[in-house]
Amino acid sequence: MSFLSEARLEDRFEPFVAFQDALGFIPNLLQAQTLLPRVVEAQAMLERAVRLREGAIPRVQKERILLSIAADRQDTYCMALDSSVLSSLGSSHGQIDDLLNDYRNADLSAADVASLQFCLKLSRHAPSLCWEDIEALRTCGFGDESIFEVVVVTALAVYRCVLSMGLGPEPDFEPRKLPSMRIDQPRGPAPHGLLPDAHQGAQRKGPYVPAPYLSAKTFAPFAVIQKSHGFIPNFFRAQTLRPDLLEAQLEAVDRILLPKDALTRVQKECILLAVSAANLNSYCVAIHCNMLRGSGMPSEDGDQIAVDHHESNLPDPDKALLDFAVKLGTRGSDISSEDVVKLKTLGFTEEQILECVVVTAFNNFANTVQMGLGIEPDFAPPPVFEKNKVHLSSGAVTPMQVDGAVRLVDTLRDADAQLVAQAQGGSLEAFEELVRRHTQLIYRTLMAILGNPTDSQDAMQDTLLNAFKHIRGFQGRSKFSTWLVSIARNTALLHLRGRRNVESLDQSDYEEDGDFRPRQVRAWQDDPEQCHSKSEIRQLVERGLLQLPAKYRVVVILRDIQQLSADEVSRQLGLSVPAVKTRLLRGRLMMREWLSPHFTVSTKGAVQ
Amino acid sequence: MITCEEFFAEFADYLEDQVSPEVRQELELHLAQCRACQVLYDTSLKTVKIVTESSSFELPHSVSDPIIDRVMAKLRTDRG
Repeated sequence: MSFLSEARLEDRFEPFVAFQDALGFIPNLLQAQTLLPRVVEAQAMLERAVRLREGAIPRVQKERILLSIAADRQDTYCMALDSSVLSSLGSSHGQIDDLLNDYRNADLSAADVASLQFCLKLSRHAPSLCWEDIEALRTCGFGDESIFEVVVVTALAVYRCVLSMGLGPEPDFEPRKLPSMRIDQPRGPAPHGLLPDAHQGAQRKGPYVPAPYLSAKTFAPFAVIQKSHGFIPNFFRAQTLRPDLLEAQLEAVDRILLPKDALTRVQKECILLAVSAANLNSYCVAIHCNMLRGSGMPSEDGDQIAVDHHESNLPDPDKALLDFAVKLGTRGSDISSEDVVKLKTLGFTEEQILECVVVTAFNNFANTVQMGLGIEPDFAPPPVFEKNKVHLSSGAVTPMQVDGAVRLVDTLRDADAQLVAQAQGGSLEAFEELVRRHTQLIYRTLMAILGNPTDSQDAMQDTLLNAFKHIRGFQGRSKFSTWLVSIARNTALLHLRGRRNVESLDQSDYEEDGDFRPRQVRAWQDDPEQCHSKSEIRQLVERGLLQLPAKYRVVVILRDIQQLSADEVSRQLGLSVPAVKTRLLRGRLMMREWLSPHFTVSTKGAVQ
Repeated sequence: MITCEEFFAEFADYLEDQVSPEVRQELELHLAQCRACQVLYDTSLKTVKIVTESSSFELPHSVSDPIIDRVMAKLRTDRG
């Protein structure tokens, strides 16, 4: 028996049939997940596409990768299973023992040795992977597709090991008795100097393999992601070289991450965020911070989970769930049935615990693919994460083991920090200086929401008074300017309550505006600003901005006029970055239509 | 070649110069052939430039200073 109960599924259950056909039996690892048949399907789809189907590298080499990683992670369950599969494919017992001990003695071709070396590095020290490792594979004759497969097979090996550590299934076979002691290679973090330096601008970046263009129109799964996420993350775009492997992952996402029958979507996103952070994967941290922001969680709460979830506002049971997931995701061999019992006593159901294990496993799959393919970020990670990353990895045995709690306020680099501390201590001079620094930001935020100067100037006074009243409550979990904008926003919204026909800032973009298309306009002059004075143009732009719906106006003003980054605007307005981008484009195109009559080629230059 | 609809799906990121080399290549291939999308791209770029450089809603010191002074005076009086 594994850590959790099992359900009896029909022998005709499709994934079981597939395994019966491919291996001749149904592994206990699948039986251990039968409480949620959808996650069994997810694993079966990944295994079929990544491992069983004919691809660019031979099946036997894929099995060697799986076995070597299982051995490296001391995963006795997978070691027994994969040894038996390799044996059935014709590998000698001697060679299997060599693989279990040290692959370099296993009498393999130079190319096979190189790929195992690569896979073990990716499995162990993913953040230290770089172009040189990819080049090493290429010199051994690996092409783009083979490299792609090597990475995804490694990810599958990681996925299976996390599952087996978290579920504790009985071995399917007697583990092989090893003739000699395993030569233990150093584990833990990479030696100093191997971790990539975030500030080395010259370092060549990914992605490591080309990604042919696919659109939502020609590749249906992209249309589905576009709808569910509001955009297509680079994680998926970067994998278009192999649509078959990409589709299998999307099927897995569909079965593991989207359902809400066990854990909630927010709980799963928190797991993905906390474990990705522990794995030092800033790409996935940025994505999941954004997903949480999009689901209504304040940005500073998501940032806090990335840095240290113990200090977050989550309820205690959810913190314990994240403790479990982080332990499983970073040092799975330490997991025992006691960890599972602890979650049960906190009120989690077996289905929820199973899902937590599977989400953690899938997270590590995704982290491995991202690092292995060098996929470029969609968004900036939280500013504190970059700094902590260096701190956390520099000596700790496991990334999350740091002395004491990490608070955002200690680590955030904010030019206002010193003045804020003085103002919190009661210095009016410091407060006045802060206010003068941010006058334009406050005023523009108010204009963006209220849309008229008199009201905005009134609201400005109230904003400043409110800011002073509450400044002691500012904990430094965000930048001071972000906090100030939220005070301005709340003050403006209070002013709006007195008005009729209030426009909502929070309307969703996807439903109502799904089919937006820009209207055709005629070509403009080469240098449209030449024919108008600066003040004419300013008046024209201001009038145009004031006739935009408020939710677009806010984004255009903060992004294009105040010139904040998309990430900053997203934090200030409590929107995801994709939502900010959608609104920004819409607002810009509306401005374009507004300006067009004044700048088209035939217009003789007068502002009407 | 990609359609105008596919071009528009990538347009927000293209305008921000945030597309991969492969996507950029497709978009530029389309742009070279499609007058309507060329105009869309050119006029949008000019719009962003005009809006960005307009200094709209800049509050002159002559207006902001009295507001700040009033607030600071009130805070000082409240403190006594």
